Amino acid sequence: MKLKKYNVLAAAVLAAFALTACGGGSETASNEGAGSGAGGDQIEIDFFHRWPNDPKNAMFKELIARYEEENPNVKINMDCILNDQYKEKIRMIVSTDEVPDIFSSWSGTFAQEMIDSGNVMDLTSVFEEDPEWSDTIAEVSKGPFTFDGKLMAIPWSQDGKAFFYNKRIFEENNLEVPTTWEEFIDVLDKLKAAGYETPIAEGLKDQWAILHYLGTMNQRMVDPEVLAADYDPATGEFTDPAYVDVLEKWQQLTSYMGEVAVAIDHETARNTLFATEEAPIMYLQFAEISLMTDTVNFDYGYFNFPAFEEGKGDPNALTGAPEGFMISNKAEHPEECIKFLKWLVSPEGGAVQLTVEGGDLTCVNGALTEENALPAQIEALETIDAASQMAPWFDNACDASIYTVFGQGASAVATGDMTPEDAMADVQAAAADLRTKQ
Amino acid sequence: MTQKRNRTAFFYILPCLIVLGLFVYYPLIMNLVYSFQSFGMSDTTREFVGLANFKKLFSDEIILTSLKNNVLYAVISVIIQVGFGLVLAAVLEDRVFQKFSPFFRTTYFIPTLLSMTVVCLLFEFIYNPQMGLLNSFLELIGLDGLTNVWLGKSSIAMYAVIAVSQWQSTGYVTMLFIVAIQKIPRDLYEAAEMDGAGKIRQFFCITVPQVKQMFFVTMVITVVGAFTVFNEPYILTGGGPGTSTMTLALHMYQTGVVKNDMGYASTIALLIFVITAVLSSIQFLTIGGKEEEA
Repeated sequence: MKLKKYNVLAAAVLAAFALTACGGGSETASNEGAGSGAGGDQIEIDFFHRWPNDPKNAMFKELIARYEEENPNVKINMDCILNDQYKEKIRMIVSTDEVPDIFSSWSGTFAQEMIDSGNVMDLTSVFEEDPEWSDTIAEVSKGPFTFDGKLMAIPWSQDGKAFFYNKRIFEENNLEVPTTWEEFIDVLDKLKAAGYETPIAEGLKDQWAILHYLGTMNQRMVDPEVLAADYDPATGEFTDPAYVDVLEKWQQLTSYMGEVAVAIDHETARNTLFATEEAPIMYLQFAEISLMTDTVNFDYGYFNFPAFEEGKGDPNALTGAPEGFMISNKAEHPEECIKFLKWLVSPEGGAVQLTVEGGDLTCVNGALTEENALPAQIEALETIDAASQMAPWFDNACDASIYTVFGQGASAVATGDMTPEDAMADVQAAAADLRTKQ
Repeated sequence: MTQKRNRTAFFYILPCLIVLGLFVYYPLIMNLVYSFQSFGMSDTTREFVGLANFKKLFSDEIILTSLKNNVLYAVISVIIQVGFGLVLAAVLEDRVFQKFSPFFRTTYFIPTLLSMTVVCLLFEFIYNPQMGLLNSFLELIGLDGLTNVWLGKSSIAMYAVIAVSQWQSTGYVTMLFIVAIQKIPRDLYEAAEMDGAGKIRQFFCITVPQVKQMFFVTMVITVVGAFTVFNEPYILTGGGPGTSTMTLALHMYQTGVVKNDMGYASTIALLIFVITAVLSSIQFLTIGGKEEEA
């Protein structure tokens, strides 16, 4: 009697398996069908990226169609979801057999996490074997993808963050571009006196927008050695008093952002304050240049985050990072993946289109000319070139449990609910917690 | 014979058992196991850490903030959705309103049919400090002093978030009460009226006791809903400014998915489960149980 019960159970379980097996079977069958239709040995590449929105999604579709036409034996299966969800999904699948052949990656800790899964292919030899191609890739964008001397991704775009300012308003008020924090505050005061209620615009509802400031300010203020030790999960303490200074300066800066800053997001701030010339200064990414062509009708220039007098970090560094593509070492046709990516990151492939259509700065040197790119984008590339080094985004420089708490603390400091000291105490606790896990 | 019939019966409930076991009880037990471990989403191994996650739970200030917000959520939801919802239902079911009642019923119920995400995006616009409807309206009627940065001040942001849920869910609870009130025999009211009971007396002496069962259902729905609320703060404020609008579910999500600490997130999930289980049991034993005797 007991046995029979188990039999029934076993039958039910088997039935369940049979059902799923059927689902899987039909899928492969249809794939094979597509393959044989094109004739010959059809190679499939799974390509996963984080740009489901146009114009980039349309751009990728068009690029892939072009590549498939030139290489009829290759079929590229593109899949994409937006940033945060992308992060979640790729984290979940990178260590499994489901890992896509090619996937996009940020630099820094995110890349490190991907590499730690053991499923990312070392691409150093790809760069060494084809110097003609690899020399065209900007050196600044290779560094952040180099881990233990190995290049782990093919860079695709580069980005940096600088203060964009309204040239007309600066001229009208006889203002010079500030190079130090004191000069900067002086400029903000003068703008306020001239009737600009929010001399600097920001949407503090977006935590990443806060983090972009904090990353730069930490880099400028804190001793680079201390910073490196603190960003390392195994040794991070965040006890240096310089961090409290950073948050005090942050508090000072947010007092110029107006009351509404805490309740709007970055894009709203850009469109309703900076673009309408109500706010003359905003901390923006170069990738946003192309988003402003329709809304901004005035001349704007850039200046790097001003130096802190007491700061110990390199004041000429520029916050920003490249993005690139990784190849899984489980890919069935690695040489085809490499071939596709090399094509994508070349002027013949997607390099120019990335900037012209997608709005991001390509990392291929010399691909952009005055004919195909906006003058502002060329100027942005020069700003990146002029920087002594690239400092990573805060959310790519340290563990999420640190920057999340840091950002929440900074948000509470901005609304006056927390003192900089209390906020840092929370960060220190999070760092201590993280240390015990290493 | 009976044994055989039992076996056949067992066979029929098997699919249900399997689905429940696979998707409810198995995850529940695994969650308990996970709460003693430490791991991230892309990790291939899980490390046993004993009570470390629970120690953290009791020293975590965000848990306190979240609990406070969830309790506030529950209290306001019960007062407005259950309390006010019942009054609304009684008014709509009154003979005086019989003509207009279908119109109002539909109007109040429509928000329930909208997706939470849509509602939140709508309210984001209403609360917008620059051009939002709420501030514009207040200015229009001369109440400039009451305009506010609704989602940007930690002292009022939580109330602003809670208000959205009330707007959306009161109509649903009202509808449930209307169904319950319609089941009350009309002669009870007629008798009361003849005895000289006014509308208010009728409400407290007939309507309220008669809808007790529905009271229990709506209480459980709103209280459990209040302790698992996620969408509203996630979309409207992301838990900010600072951590002032953090709720347990949002904190669990941020811990697990953003901070990549699935172990501790499981511990928070366990806390949410214990709270909702205890609260529903209490309600079941005090209100729901008695009903069966009667």
